[in-house]
Amino acid sequence: MQRREFFKTLGTVAAVAAVATPTMTFAAAPVSANQMSYENALSAITGGKTPKESSAIKLKAPEIAENGAVVPITVEVDSPMTDADYVKSIHIIAGKNGNARCIDVHLTPANGKAMFATRIKLGGTQKVSAIVGLSNGDFLIASQSVKVTIGGCG
Amino acid sequence: MAKRKSLIKIKPKTYKDGEVVKVSFMVMHPMDTGLAKDKKTKELIPAKYINNVKFTYNAKLITTLNVWETLSTNPVFTTYMKINGKGDLTVSYTDNTGEVNENSMKIKPKG
Repeated sequence: MQRREFFKTLGTVAAVAAVATPTMTFAAAPVSANQMSYENALSAITGGKTPKESSAIKLKAPEIAENGAVVPITVEVDSPMTDADYVKSIHIIAGKNGNARCIDVHLTPANGKAMFATRIKLGGTQKVSAIVGLSNGDFLIASQSVKVTIGGCG
Repeated sequence: MAKRKSLIKIKPKTYKDGEVVKVSFMVMHPMDTGLAKDKKTKELIPAKYINNVKFTYNAKLITTLNVWETLSTNPVFTTYMKINGKGDLTVSYTDNTGEVNENSMKIKPKG
């Protein structure tokens, strides 16, 4: 009986240790003030809606980025950009970065063309997604994985 | 208020009324994440990044950007814009430490 209890306590101690250690190491490393996961970023953008995969979005990103500190990203969307039908917003998110959200672009019909380009930092090899919000409330998504040789965060 | 170097570029350089042109805005900014350490002092560099950029053309807001620290150092923002008469294109930007700056450019369509 004693032996059995001993193993029971040993099991719980091991379980607690297993749960506690990752959080402890996590707290020791510096964490971004805007820590956000891919799922949280996605729901914050779409408000719970599931974005549709679409070929209307052209996401241009390098397949292999030698330097993760500077990764050029271009998002282009096929849209007439009239008052009735235009691209309302373009969001770029990088799933494995500490803060997954990179940039939100709010466009208006005065832009004439739905395109946005910038350069982002990537902490490692990961999937970069572009989420496009249309004026009718729908969301579209396109993703591409980028291989990073040297990480660029921190 | 620190003065920052920034540049607005329009492509093509000569344009007509009603044409859709490419607008690039570049700014010299460290975009520190707050995670990197100073190599000499071994201390964390505090976060400093641009968090909001606004493109205003003829007093009309055309594009707003919400930015996080995951953008590269000295960021470049490129988008398109429809030329609609003479006026000013103003790009104003703020960072998380409360720094406010702006840069403007005169739009003169030909023909």
